[in-house]
Amino acid sequence: MKKTTKLGMRRRSFLQGTAAFGAATAISGLSVSSLWADAPEKPKEIIIRAWGGSWVDSLKKGVSDPFTEMTGISVRHDLTEDNEIQPKVWAAVAQNRVPPIHINWDTTTNASKSALRGVTEDLSGLSNLANTTELAKPVGVEGYPIVNTYGYVYVLAYRPEAFPDGPPKSWKELLDPKFKGRVAFYNDGIGFHFPAQVAGGGSLDGIPDAMGPAWEFIEKFKAQKPLLGEDPDFTTWFQNGEIDAACTISTNARAAKQNGVNIEWVVPEEGAKFDTDGLWIPKGLPENELYWAKEYINFALTKEAQQVWLDGLGLPGVVPGLTPPADLINDASYPTKESDFANLIRVSAQIQVENESEWFSKFKAIMQS
Amino acid sequence: MGKANRPYPLSWRIMDAAEAVFAAVWPSRGGRMAPYIMLAPALLLVGLLVIGMIQIGDTSLRVLDRTTFLMSEDWTLANYQKAVSDAFFFKVAWRSLLGAAIVTVVTLMFAFPYAYVMVRTNNAALRKFLLIALFLPFFIGQVVRAYGWLIILGNQGIVNDMLGLVGVEPIRLLFNYPAVLFGLVQYMLPFGVLMLAPALTAIPEEIEAAATSLGANWWRSFIHVILPMAKPGLIGAGLVVMTLSLTDFAMPAILGGGTQDFIANAIYDQFFRTSDQGMGAALALLLVAIGSLLVGVVFTVFGAGTLAMGRSKL
Repeated sequence: MKKTTKLGMRRRSFLQGTAAFGAATAISGLSVSSLWADAPEKPKEIIIRAWGGSWVDSLKKGVSDPFTEMTGISVRHDLTEDNEIQPKVWAAVAQNRVPPIHINWDTTTNASKSALRGVTEDLSGLSNLANTTELAKPVGVEGYPIVNTYGYVYVLAYRPEAFPDGPPKSWKELLDPKFKGRVAFYNDGIGFHFPAQVAGGGSLDGIPDAMGPAWEFIEKFKAQKPLLGEDPDFTTWFQNGEIDAACTISTNARAAKQNGVNIEWVVPEEGAKFDTDGLWIPKGLPENELYWAKEYINFALTKEAQQVWLDGLGLPGVVPGLTPPADLINDASYPTKESDFANLIRVSAQIQVENESEWFSKFKAIMQS
Repeated sequence: MGKANRPYPLSWRIMDAAEAVFAAVWPSRGGRMAPYIMLAPALLLVGLLVIGMIQIGDTSLRVLDRTTFLMSEDWTLANYQKAVSDAFFFKVAWRSLLGAAIVTVVTLMFAFPYAYVMVRTNNAALRKFLLIALFLPFFIGQVVRAYGWLIILGNQGIVNDMLGLVGVEPIRLLFNYPAVLFGLVQYMLPFGVLMLAPALTAIPEEIEAAATSLGANWWRSFIHVILPMAKPGLIGAGLVVMTLSLTDFAMPAILGGGTQDFIANAIYDQFFRTSDQGMGAALALLLVAIGSLLVGVVFTVFGAGTLAMGRSKL
């Protein structure tokens, strides 16, 4: 069984699907009062855990504000880090307490851990799932404990003035001594493990059992004294001229560019990691709040919501027929045709869930040595 | 006349009322038990901490099942075995211990003269200035101070700007071990001064004058009189600075650029990044054990410092 693959036709099919508008049209065409006539009591607010900056701004504009407008339910965004909210939610469910949030906007891998632990509500009844592509379905778990809402790419972001001969074509170019101390990765290496496997001479089929090439390649980067941080660090470092290149999600690079930082990005020849984020609901909510939390996610799967939300993020969604933002047409980080997917690496969530901790530990061990 | 008419202080009235209430509740032996009852809130807090430690201890003996992301039902020492045998954890522990030692020594070296001048100077303005400079950092959180250093020491920071004025290319001052230690020393300095100041105040100036009158110059007076008499303060300050440095999280995280983790950062990663609460709990207890061991060694070798636990009964 081939466990990993560079993306090919499957991604194209999701983008070229022709599913109907479904509930999206229904929501926009019907009056709100008739649509939710038999709905349970509305809570005063629902709380969505979200990432900050352009991430939450986009969610607010595309999903939360229209949802509030339609339902009258306020949406509060909790910017607690996804890794930090996880144990709080787990503890709340274990202790039969009401969880601190209604919806967790999470990485699919992290969400799958929560699903395996049994703390997620089943979302398979959402009507708008019928209009989504296969990307919306999480792999390695039963049903829909999480709904993936878009895909994203860990690109090689760079300052053009540091690459006078043109954009970097390979991750290996960052091993040039002139970039010593001027390259950044996420502090657990997320996004870089798989391209490193290829750049180190290994194959994707070697994931997760034969990742020696990845670790050897990362060892070489250790000698380059890279900086390790999180999304806000990358923006700060680019702005302050601390780094010339970084492996980061294209959304962050795009946001920095929109804020005046001179930054571009590429998908190098060895490939770049493609992954998904999603929305899920923790167990333990009162019935009426659970109902409206599900309605929020259902609305997030409409074409209208996805178009605005993902325009802000600059990412491809899970509903067919979305229009790419003007600045991302033909951009490698916004795959729309088969050739775009050829160089993107996607590893199943199941493999990532089972091995991610080990990869994080290994990366940190190398970088801290 | 004035003294006789001075009103009975409010604090006395409160204490009288408290004693009356206490006597009503426990009239016969209340007086004798009062100190112990007053200890009750503190004991309650410590008790809660102990309960928490027991729970952490329980968690540390369970391993994570990555197929369900639940902790094992059975107890095992696997987390501890990994913690003491894993080269990564050893490296982080060594870095933390070495850092705590360096920060303690350097902080005391800076804190001592600061505290000495502050308690000995006859210049009221200077004393006020030193006091304000001492307390001002307490109003600024550790994270904010660390970010301040990012601005000051960054490639486009003030320091590199000044170096640029004399033709020096920007140099990387941040995201390395010295930067973390520098940030910690700056953070710990007020703690060191605060712990040292009472000990130095307790040294009678007459003793220094006597040493001088007997022919000792300032340096000999410092070495043979002041320093030995300041030992309790030095030990107390050293213990506080050492334990706070050993367990610090923010400075290594912010000024270390992700490559200079201390034990607290490794614990965070286990709890929040890899979801392995068992491993995180084991590391947390090992950190408590290391810190306690160090404090015990210091108590044994040097006495209890300003805690005065080693004071002999008269």
